Amino acid sequence: MNLRLHIWRQAGPNDTGMLKTYDVANVSEHMSFLEMLDVLNEDLIAKGEIPVAFDHDCREGICGTCGMVINGRPHGPVARTTACQLHMRTFKDGDEIYIEPWRAKAFPVLRDLVVDRGSFDRIIQTGGFVSVNTGNAQDGNAIPISKPDADRAMDAAACIGCGACVAACPNSSAMLFTAAKVGHLASLPQGQAERSSRAMNMVLQMDAEGFGSCTNHYECEAACPKGISAEFIAQMNRDFISTTFGGKA
Amino acid sequence: MKAFGDIWRSNLFQKWLMAVSGLLLVLFLLGHLSGNLLVFLGREQINEYAHGLRTMGHGMIIWVVRLGLLSFFVLHVTSAITLARRNRAARPAKYHRVESRASTLASRTMLYSGLLLLSYVLYHLAHFTWGAVHSEYYAQACPPSAGCVDCIPDVYSMIVSSFQQPLISITYLLSMIMVGLHLNHAIASAVQTLGVTNRRIVPVMRILGPGLSIIIALGFSSVPLAIILGFVKI
Repeated sequence: MNLRLHIWRQAGPNDTGMLKTYDVANVSEHMSFLEMLDVLNEDLIAKGEIPVAFDHDCREGICGTCGMVINGRPHGPVARTTACQLHMRTFKDGDEIYIEPWRAKAFPVLRDLVVDRGSFDRIIQTGGFVSVNTGNAQDGNAIPISKPDADRAMDAAACIGCGACVAACPNSSAMLFTAAKVGHLASLPQGQAERSSRAMNMVLQMDAEGFGSCTNHYECEAACPKGISAEFIAQMNRDFISTTFGGKA
Repeated sequence: MKAFGDIWRSNLFQKWLMAVSGLLLVLFLLGHLSGNLLVFLGREQINEYAHGLRTMGHGMIIWVVRLGLLSFFVLHVTSAITLARRNRAARPAKYHRVESRASTLASRTMLYSGLLLLSYVLYHLAHFTWGAVHSEYYAQACPPSAGCVDCIPDVYSMIVSSFQQPLISITYLLSMIMVGLHLNHAIASAVQTLGVTNRRIVPVMRILGPGLSIIIALGFSSVPLAIILGFVKI
């Protein structure tokens, strides 16, 4: 199939950037979206032009590295799918595709479709962990965890930190990401000791990074390639408020 | 523990303030609505009710409620504007194409419906509480300023003669559409912000919220509609 792409090109963080139009011919329907961009880049390199920069790593939908807004939707039109797992059979011959980077103050564009998601790392650094004193590794199954708790923790832990929630949110809010991390550890006994300070610190760091706040549109939930539920946001809200009023989360 | 000032300024606390004050205002609306519907029971019932509100607790209760409403209103509006400004700043560069998947007309227009309601509430107070606009109808209620101290005010005549004016009725009906639109998203949204995760309650609230918004909007609209259609007369 032949496609017309409108891709955001930006030489660096301080460049203003603009959409540029490219025609790609002979795209196979079996290609992934990133492979289609690889073909475009090969073509650009052959012509002596600068290839389109985009993030990618595992290309099997589990690492959270790739991410771009495809036709107005993070990771493209297919639900619960990362850009690398989006296949060109979703599109048809003659389609025009708009490809833009995640847009958020807290995710500055580094180049073309690559954004700096260091703000997510800094949120994790303020509480997205369980402190463990050094020593021998604990015996497996030493702490019994019920199946519903384990399932719930796993549902939240499925977050790959790709940032699609921020990209989809009209307010560029990182609530779903942060709530998934808070909710993951809050579901497990190991996470209880630091539960209150974790919710408080991660929420305040989210503000400090310049993310917006949640207005409960649930665009994040719909865009999340891992289907994380907005219920974790409600749980984080509750942990934060009970900590604020002196209780334990 | 963080300083309370830092927490107060945080997005999540501002959201919590907006949710709590908003839900209290919804409770007030339900009370207000039940009072309004007394119009259908007749002149005496609503006039007695209005007199009761004015004189309850030696006339103190009404001021306690007014003070509470004013503070919830101020908290609600200031937190909304603070958050809206920050949310705008969080996305300096816009997308060329956006396809929404989950948001609704109501959720996307909360700020605008809210600001319209703010101007409506000021007009509404000027009409029925201060008598600053449409004062010819306000005077029919025989307010304290007109020498009525212990007598029972005739709010029935004030309401009916006001809503018999098509322009006034239409303004109110349009405003009630705004109320419905705002509450359509607001109620379920506030429940989420307060952190309700109970899997039996949440699905109910996502239906009850929009449902309640329709009931409130239709309930308030029924009074001007009934008057303009001639079901309720002087």
